Amino acid sequence: MTHPACQSPGLSAHQPASRDVRLRAQALSVAYAQAPILSDLTLDIPDGEITVIVGPNACGKSTLLRSLARLQRLSAGQVLLDGKNIHHQRSRGVAQRLAILPQSPTAPEGLTVHDLVSRGRTPHQSALKQWSRQDARAVEQALERTSMGPLAQRNLEALSGGQRQRAWIAMALAQETDILLLDEPTTYLDLPHQIELLTLVQSLNQDSGQTVAMVLHDINLAARFANHMIALRAGEVFAKGRPEQVVTRENMAQVFGLKCQIISDPVHATPHVIPE
Amino acid sequence: MTHWTLRLPFISLRLSARGSAVALALALMIAAGALLALRLGTYPLVAGTWVAILGGGGSDIEQMILLDHRLPRILTALGAGACFGLSGAMFQTMLRNPLASPDVIGFNAGASCGALVAIITAGSAATGGTVLLGALLGAFCTAVLVVGLAWRNGLQAERLVLIGLGGGFALAALSDLLLSRTDARTAADMTKWLIGTLNARDWQDVTLVWAGLALLSPVLVWLHFPLARLGLPEDLASGLGLRLSPLRLTITALGIVLATLAVCSAGPLPFVAFAAGPIARSLLRNGQPALLGASAIGALLVLAADTAARMIVTLHLPAGVFTALIGGPVMIWLLVTQLRKGKL
Repeated sequence: MTHPACQSPGLSAHQPASRDVRLRAQALSVAYAQAPILSDLTLDIPDGEITVIVGPNACGKSTLLRSLARLQRLSAGQVLLDGKNIHHQRSRGVAQRLAILPQSPTAPEGLTVHDLVSRGRTPHQSALKQWSRQDARAVEQALERTSMGPLAQRNLEALSGGQRQRAWIAMALAQETDILLLDEPTTYLDLPHQIELLTLVQSLNQDSGQTVAMVLHDINLAARFANHMIALRAGEVFAKGRPEQVVTRENMAQVFGLKCQIISDPVHATPHVIPE
Repeated sequence: MTHWTLRLPFISLRLSARGSAVALALALMIAAGALLALRLGTYPLVAGTWVAILGGGGSDIEQMILLDHRLPRILTALGAGACFGLSGAMFQTMLRNPLASPDVIGFNAGASCGALVAIITAGSAATGGTVLLGALLGAFCTAVLVVGLAWRNGLQAERLVLIGLGGGFALAALSDLLLSRTDARTAADMTKWLIGTLNARDWQDVTLVWAGLALLSPVLVWLHFPLARLGLPEDLASGLGLRLSPLRLTITALGIVLATLAVCSAGPLPFVAFAAGPIARSLLRNGQPALLGASAIGALLVLAADTAARMIVTLHLPAGVFTALIGGPVMIWLLVTQLRKGKL
């Protein structure tokens, strides 16, 4: 499985002819009760890469991610998925190409890991076709790739924070989409589990070319795992580009109001923020 | 947990062994309960004579007791209970809140108030149809009002429960007011009906509730799939491709129709819709809406309550008293467990 289009035969029809960017925002604005949250954002989520959205609290990071997943009502502009307005496409069709995992989701009581991961198959199922061979295979694979296989029959409530988060990722994987959006997937995890989870996300991206866009709080982790970064400030894109272009002394001061030195991470050679 | 997979060209399902066992056990309990209820009563009917009576034999009295009294009464109880259970489980799953059942959020009160208005205005001309129409109107008006008031950037379950509770009390007061405008005899009958009773059910009631169930069951089968996913957080459910607003509207409308059918045939029996879902879910423990289980538990609850009401003849208690006796403790159990989990 080297190319994402191989995951599901139905997807090839949606592949654009040129190597266009599949997910992009055009002049996107969002407002809650007249207060602007995002104003006039135009950006691309590069195919096959890991994009990390960073910014201070309440800068609109989650709103941007929700907008990209057509979960947010826009006040202006549009989100294009495969060249077409995402709000004008069938919800099920969108869900076959794009998966989103909200921040710290909660599951109904009594669900096992396997039950939860199976829910990820929803856009490929119907009231009559609830468990095809493809469904069973995709769920097995998602469990395996997240190392959740041995815990498949466990109750979700009986898992540790890190395991539970891996179960949710497995659910999003079972959806077999080319694009995966994650809203702060490392919330409530300790540092080793944060690294473990982000390494998992990185391997998903590298093994199958899945496009990933996620919101992260930690700039250093963002810089280490991203190919592409977007820094938001007060609902606007302040900087975007490769981590070393975004994580600079000036940008940190402007975006976060943080005085810092930037050194090169001695292990991974990515930019590393040392607050002054 | 073991599962069986069913795969045919047009259908594929995954059934849990536990779910199947629970379904079988509940079906057996309903069958046994119904047979027991046929037998019990002030006039003894031996099991062997039923077949003869059903075939047209037996004395006139036996014919009347079995065919005109016990059988329609039991069938109405089962049907109404199933409707209550389904309606409750649907609202509870959709709103992700065990308190959000039609008897708690005022929809049953709306239906009975509407029925009452229909009975009083139509007077002696009141038929099953007018009562059903009045009840439907009452339930839908209540739903529009309660949902409208609870709406704030989408439907908020907690607001809905609180506003619905208030609405239910207001409607109960309105029903009392309406009763005071009628003559004493009608008022006495209506009071019993308002608590919920299956006295003097006939085949018209049986037809109403079972035809309704039969007509709605294809929609229910179809709705089970999305409903099982509405227990997930909203963003996730939308992300999985479910269209939440049309789904919720359909489920709400269907839930109201089911509750109204039940109210029309058995009165607003308290706590059945509320208790059936949680009991079924705690038996199944698979995070599913348990529609089938809830309908079976609902049917059993109403049958048990009505049989108890029939047995204790000296007190002339309506069945609603007994469902309240069962449902009250379930509510306390739910409140305590929810509080312990910090979910309330």
